[in-house]
Amino acid sequence: MATGELVRMEHIYKNFGSVQALNDVTFTVGHREIVGLVGDNGAGKSTLIKILSGAHPATSGQIYFDGKPVEIKNTWDAIQLGIETIYQDSALVPQLSIARNLFLGREPLTGPKWLQRMDKRFMEEQTRKLLGDLGITKYINPDTPITSLSGGERQSISIARAMFFESRLIILDEPTNNLGVEETHRVLRFIHNARDRGLSCIFITHNIYHVFQVVDRIVVLRRGKKVCEADPKHTNIDDIEKVITGIYDTLPERSAG
Amino acid sequence: MEASSRLQKAMTAPSVRKLIAAPEFGPLVLLIVEIVVFSFLTSRRAASDPFFTIFPSFLSATNITNLLSFTPELGMIALGMTLLMTAGEFDLSVGSVFGFAAIVMWTFFNTGATSLEIGFVLAMLISVAIGFVNGWFVTRLRIPSFLVTLGMLLVARGSALYITDGFPQRTWNAGQSVLSAILVGEFSIGEVRIYASLIWFILFTIIMHYVLVHSKAGNWIQASGGNAMAAIARGVKVGRTKVLLFILSAMMSAYAGITSSIRVSAANPNSGDGYELEVIAMVVIGGTALAGGRGSILGTVLGVLILRVMRNGIVMVGVPGLAYKIFIGAIILGMMVLHSSIERRTGNGR
Repeated sequence: MATGELVRMEHIYKNFGSVQALNDVTFTVGHREIVGLVGDNGAGKSTLIKILSGAHPATSGQIYFDGKPVEIKNTWDAIQLGIETIYQDSALVPQLSIARNLFLGREPLTGPKWLQRMDKRFMEEQTRKLLGDLGITKYINPDTPITSLSGGERQSISIARAMFFESRLIILDEPTNNLGVEETHRVLRFIHNARDRGLSCIFITHNIYHVFQVVDRIVVLRRGKKVCEADPKHTNIDDIEKVITGIYDTLPERSAG
Repeated sequence: MEASSRLQKAMTAPSVRKLIAAPEFGPLVLLIVEIVVFSFLTSRRAASDPFFTIFPSFLSATNITNLLSFTPELGMIALGMTLLMTAGEFDLSVGSVFGFAAIVMWTFFNTGATSLEIGFVLAMLISVAIGFVNGWFVTRLRIPSFLVTLGMLLVARGSALYITDGFPQRTWNAGQSVLSAILVGEFSIGEVRIYASLIWFILFTIIMHYVLVHSKAGNWIQASGGNAMAAIARGVKVGRTKVLLFILSAMMSAYAGITSSIRVSAANPNSGDGYELEVIAMVVIGGTALAGGRGSILGTVLGVLILRVMRNGIVMVGVPGLAYKIFIGAIILGMMVLHSSIERRTGNGR
């Protein structure tokens, strides 16, 4: 890859007791690249992603970030590196306001340090600015609770949050689940924008039709193994589907490359 | 003219609507209604008295003194419980810790092992340990807080009974100690006698309201209860937050129990029995969600007052005290209907 790699996960193994969830998976994400990670239930997608986001450790294997070997022991390590994970429809705290969600875990403080007072004015200003950037047309107050927002608005805010804090890699777990057609398109457009601003994305989904619209590269896992990588421009959906379900072992020659 | 009425509407409507939609509004109205009704009922009874007096006995100095003596003690437990419940957990062991802490302090003192002050510090340290164990079981071993704190309820109560052989501890030589003056020293405002515990309660209320609403910790507490997964993914230390809140809850209970034992000059191994449910009732009446994510310290203070005024007022009016629980139950049910309807109206269809 000419642009170099942002993330390289090399020879990753993961065992849960006697179950081998991942078997020698090597997975990379380039700079400014959107990678679609697809596979059936239990293929190991979430396990791979949880290792990258620090939710649980790999049994063996090495992770490189920006070419340097790194150890990701917990979610905080991942966040420090600039890896932001957005789990399906649960990246936000529904009871909290947009502003409080935006700065959750990174609350700006004001006044004496021992008081630990949040700088609410700053939070509201920044949220208002961000909502403007998002192009959310109707007026939304920064102190609106998340429960009042639609699914697409929530996803957009999660992604915008990652962009706001200058994350370098956004991991999206089923971001288009439970969304309407219009909203799905908005979220997909949003992912494109994020890439254009210099972020990389991993897009995990069952819905390979959505993947095909936005990703630069598709990686297919089956039963804990990486079975193929493909460029969606030179592949058709049917072939990929057959690889996912195991009808094909890997991509046939005619569509590869 | 049309413009001015529109302006008027714009100025009043949103703030009024905001006030009514606030979860504390219902409890506030209920508390005011209670006070008005009990004042009215007790003054009418007084009117039938040969020594005619229109002043409601419910508002008499003696009764207010009574009301304000025990309320801060339950209130302190409720404050700790509010933060814990906002973080999505609750603590059934508060009543037992309330009784146990006082027993620990008095046992140390009565056996001559330590001074009262050292005994106090030791009892508080033991409560920290109890809270830590509760929190550790819940966050590390992922056992539901219902089961963990139910176990702790029995352990703490059992320990109190075992240590004392079931007999109350001697407490009468507390009078001259500095500790008792600090915790429950008395002073008077007019005819109303005030205990220092009320001052502490107000201070704790202010601190905890600040923590929940304005501090970073408050954001973490609400996030832990609202969506722990999302919070963890953002680097919020949900486990640590919950453990600290379990410790806070146990410390508040121990502090309240010790305060109570000095005030009533009795450390009974059975005291605090059943407080856990009363305190949880106070907290939910005040608008804190049982499932977590949303909590209000001001609501809790209102909830505490609602139940204490109800208990006191019912007796004053002449309803048998045994009927108290019927009213409490009715208040809880009514308030839950109110809170859920407000949530439906403001939460979703915006």
